[in-house]
Amino acid sequence: MVRIKHRYLLINILYPDPKSTSGRPATKPGDEVPYTVQFRRPSPDRMDGGVLTRLIRDGVAELYGDYGSGKVAGSLQVKYFSQATSTAIVRVSRDYYRLVWAALTFATRLPNPVGQSCVIQVVRVSGTIRKSEEEAIRRARLSIRRAEAAAKSSNAATAGLAAATPQLLSTEDDDADMINGIEDPDDPRDIEEDLDDDEG
Amino acid sequence: MTPQPSAPGPPRPLKRKDAPSSSNTAGSTNHNKRRKTQVALDASGPSKRKDAQSFSATTKNARHDKRRQTTKDARAISSQASSKAFKNGELDVDKFVKAREYEIKALEQGMARAKKALAERAFQQVPKELRRRTASHNVKRVPKRLQRRAAREMVEDKTKSDRRKPSRHMRLRIETAKRLRALSAKQRARKDAVVKDQGTTNVQSDQRPVSVKSRKPRVKKNALKDPPPAPAKFRKRQIGKSWLPTHLYHAKRAHMTSPKEPLWRYAVPLTPTMKSYRPTHRASGDRGAVAWDMSYMATVSLAGTEQSLQGLLRALGIGVSPETKQLWETRGQRWSLGTRVWEGWLYCRDSFPLQAIAPATVIWCAENEPTSVLGAVAEEKANVQRKTVRKLLIRVHPSAFHQLWDEVLRLAKVQKPQVMVEDLRFEIGSIEITGPASTEALLGALWPNTSTSCRDWPQGSVEATWSSLAEITNPATLPENVLFGFDIVDPRLHHPPRTIAIPQSTRESALLSTLSKWPCDQTQTSPKLFDRNARLKAARALPSQKAINRRKSFAVPGTYPEPKPSDAQIPILLYATRNLQSRNGGQSRAQGTWNFLLPWKAVLPVWYSIMYYPLSTGGQPRFGGLREKRQIVFEAGVPWFPGDFPGTAAGYAWEVREREKRKEDWAKRPRGKRTEWSSVDLGNGKKGEIGDGWACDWERLLTGMAPPTTGKSAEAAGDPSSKSDSVSPPPKLCHITSAAASSLLSGSSPLHNIDLSTALATVTLDLLVRGVPQTCARIYRLPSSSAIDPTAISLRNSWLALVPTPESRRRGREQKQPFPSRLRRDAPPHVVHRQLAQSLLKPPQAGEDEYPVCPGEEDLIGFVTTGNFNLGEGRGTGIGCILLGRVLDRVREGRDEGMKGRLCVVRNAGQSVGRLARWDIAG
Repeated sequence: MVRIKHRYLLINILYPDPKSTSGRPATKPGDEVPYTVQFRRPSPDRMDGGVLTRLIRDGVAELYGDYGSGKVAGSLQVKYFSQATSTAIVRVSRDYYRLVWAALTFATRLPNPVGQSCVIQVVRVSGTIRKSEEEAIRRARLSIRRAEAAAKSSNAATAGLAAATPQLLSTEDDDADMINGIEDPDDPRDIEEDLDDDEG
Repeated sequence: MTPQPSAPGPPRPLKRKDAPSSSNTAGSTNHNKRRKTQVALDASGPSKRKDAQSFSATTKNARHDKRRQTTKDARAISSQASSKAFKNGELDVDKFVKAREYEIKALEQGMARAKKALAERAFQQVPKELRRRTASHNVKRVPKRLQRRAAREMVEDKTKSDRRKPSRHMRLRIETAKRLRALSAKQRARKDAVVKDQGTTNVQSDQRPVSVKSRKPRVKKNALKDPPPAPAKFRKRQIGKSWLPTHLYHAKRAHMTSPKEPLWRYAVPLTPTMKSYRPTHRASGDRGAVAWDMSYMATVSLAGTEQSLQGLLRALGIGVSPETKQLWETRGQRWSLGTRVWEGWLYCRDSFPLQAIAPATVIWCAENEPTSVLGAVAEEKANVQRKTVRKLLIRVHPSAFHQLWDEVLRLAKVQKPQVMVEDLRFEIGSIEITGPASTEALLGALWPNTSTSCRDWPQGSVEATWSSLAEITNPATLPENVLFGFDIVDPRLHHPPRTIAIPQSTRESALLSTLSKWPCDQTQTSPKLFDRNARLKAARALPSQKAINRRKSFAVPGTYPEPKPSDAQIPILLYATRNLQSRNGGQSRAQGTWNFLLPWKAVLPVWYSIMYYPLSTGGQPRFGGLREKRQIVFEAGVPWFPGDFPGTAAGYAWEVREREKRKEDWAKRPRGKRTEWSSVDLGNGKKGEIGDGWACDWERLLTGMAPPTTGKSAEAAGDPSSKSDSVSPPPKLCHITSAAASSLLSGSSPLHNIDLSTALATVTLDLLVRGVPQTCARIYRLPSSSAIDPTAISLRNSWLALVPTPESRRRGREQKQPFPSRLRRDAPPHVVHRQLAQSLLKPPQAGEDEYPVCPGEEDLIGFVTTGNFNLGEGRGTGIGCILLGRVLDRVREGRDEGMKGRLCVVRNAGQSVGRLARWDIAG
């Protein structure tokens, strides 16, 4: 018997429009929310796995027509969606995951009950759900560290203790760099190697 | 919907809106309802189709659905809603971090739960070594705790069970068993009736003897011993062989020698039925202990005056060579006083460097008045010593026993006064145990006997010293070859054993001082094991298991029964040995070994006590078979007798036996699937394996190239000792021990009477490149550098080019992969060029055209007798034998070139690829 093979796409949803999102910076004076926290906002309450599925299906149908939606429909499934962190894991058959990826990349707006502009990043493609979960954990850890570091530095700046913090920061996370406004850019080789692991 | 964001409780499937408890409908409809809510979310085709099916709900489907649902639940990952995580939708660092933490926890839990809920059948949970192929069809094959679950699973997924109609043979056996049961029941009833009659009438009581006093059997001196009569029940199964004392234990747990082909006239355990060797490897070196029942080792006892015993041992080649001469002087004093053992080779009478018989252990019996000062040799004592009878034991492998026995018997009669020789084969058994926990296990099993009620032995006594060794994790840390002789109590009285208290390191200094002073040298008294009466007494005093059980039941719960003065005192001799040489001189990992001798009858209780000892590091000691023994020794780089010594009679017999077995295995295979020896490509247009492919073909090695015309070999053929061997006359091979061989190669000793054309030395082989040598692999030397033939010179040079330089070795270590990964299609040109350059510089790999061919048959020097993957080294290694005469000139001419003289090429039988290796004298 031949195993049915899937791909698992780890997705981050970003909400670039600051006005319409649910997560607004706290209004308390003097309490500035760091940029890293603002960058990754929670999803609105009405957004869920179903909406994401619909978005993908519509997107695939729009880009690839009946052929694409037929190929994708059988295996498409949202395995995990977290509103608070705007992270999702989408499963799709191995042969057609590129269609889904394209649909996600071209999506600019969440469908109707939510109706909000968005950017979707596919941050990891893996052959097993386990690996994508591990990656999600790694990224969550990373963003925790970044947020804490940013909060600390802003606090330190207000308290006038700026001298001590750079050392702390440099030891803690060297990888918390931002390149072109995107955190943790992926090495394209990572994804390909990951695929190679699984195809054997 | 979800609990506190910081601590996800039992995670629930994604966005389920109805709580399962809210609907009180029947189970199946409940699921459908749940499913429906999920359909909107999943929106995947298959789940809809399943829904339609489950509406026609039979009970089977319901069960199926339930299982699906549970797996689905297990795989779902809980998630957090934004409104929960962020109050009023306000962004906040603290909340942001909490939301991430929740996600991490949820994902980790999800992974753990999904793994647990994998469709893992019960038999898949069993550790690898306990897995049975039949376990998926037969519930009885899994451990008891899993049997119920396995049975349920079998019903659930409709596995066909193994319950078949018993076969004809099986039915016959069942019938016989039934009839036997009926018969024994009838007999028991009759016996009971007789007893009742006696109880009532007391008529026949005076006719029955009260107790029969058994006469002591006369000691058969200078005669071979018969195996002890087996119990009637097992007699038929021991015709032509005898069982070890632990046979029943092993027969249940190990593959034994087949009934028709015993090894050395014993039924020997070959390998445990537990699969995989790796746990044994770990137990022998890293954690745990491995034990063997070595009762098949033969023991010969000699008794006579010290002078005649010395004469006998000298004639056997002990302490004859200039290096070992000191054995009879100050250096061997501890040995001859009976506090150390000696291990080494024995030879035929007065033929020291030639005609080796076997490696043996020689143990002197200590005398009862302990000598206070070692060095003091009192003149007046000498006279007494000349008269007193001393004893010693020689322990030798059973394959060489008869040869040694004949030799010893002949020598004993020549001595003046004569030496009495006694065969103790079925009277003394032995156990061997190795591994870091071996000392601990032995301390738990061997309790020194207490003659008085108190358990305190005088400071420095043998028993006290033995009991203070609990911290030792390697017997090799003890003084070399130390010997303990003391009595132990019946281990069944303290069975099941308990983990001993291991003292903490505060007492380390005490242990160190013990090890350095070694008080046993002064306090060792004459071990009772040498005394025949003590041995017999111990064997007779062993109570029945029934009696032991009764005593245990009278004991206070949780305590062992009180010792009684009438308890059996089992005499033992315990000694620690270390592997003389281990691979690469790495002494750190080399584990020593505990050996102990004890009366044959006492082996079984002690064995059980060791096997069930709960180690402080967890688990119990493992047992090994012959294969484990060989492999552990092999991994230490030490040759194994007899297999690795084809130059001895016993070793040659082993080789012949193995050869036949391999030939049979080969012949069994269909023609298309076995190696066709005649078409093996040897390079340079030569075809066909050298000699028999299934053999280490020593005959071909000796006669194949050079016709036997020398007078010396004819002389060796007419040697009387080679005739005594019953198998087939060995081809005039002569084993040269390691010391003699290395001195020969270094040129320090003259070539006196050694015939170089037949002198064999055992060597270890380290492969310098890849590859795993197998048994029977052919060993070639490199063509001579002074050869006239230019092709030979170029062949030599191309082999020498393969020798890894330190630089390339370092580079290989730095690179993670030994081979460059395949280039990507769009690789930039400079990467392609680099790779091309690297591939040009690299030495040729096997299979490429430039890879050198094997040297010709004229350069064949020997065969690999044991070759395998070496778990200790992490690569293949080998132990083989080579003809010294063929390598002597290479070693001498290569002496100033470092290791070049000892390079060789190893080619597995039936293959054409040779591998570059380096040989070294073993042992």
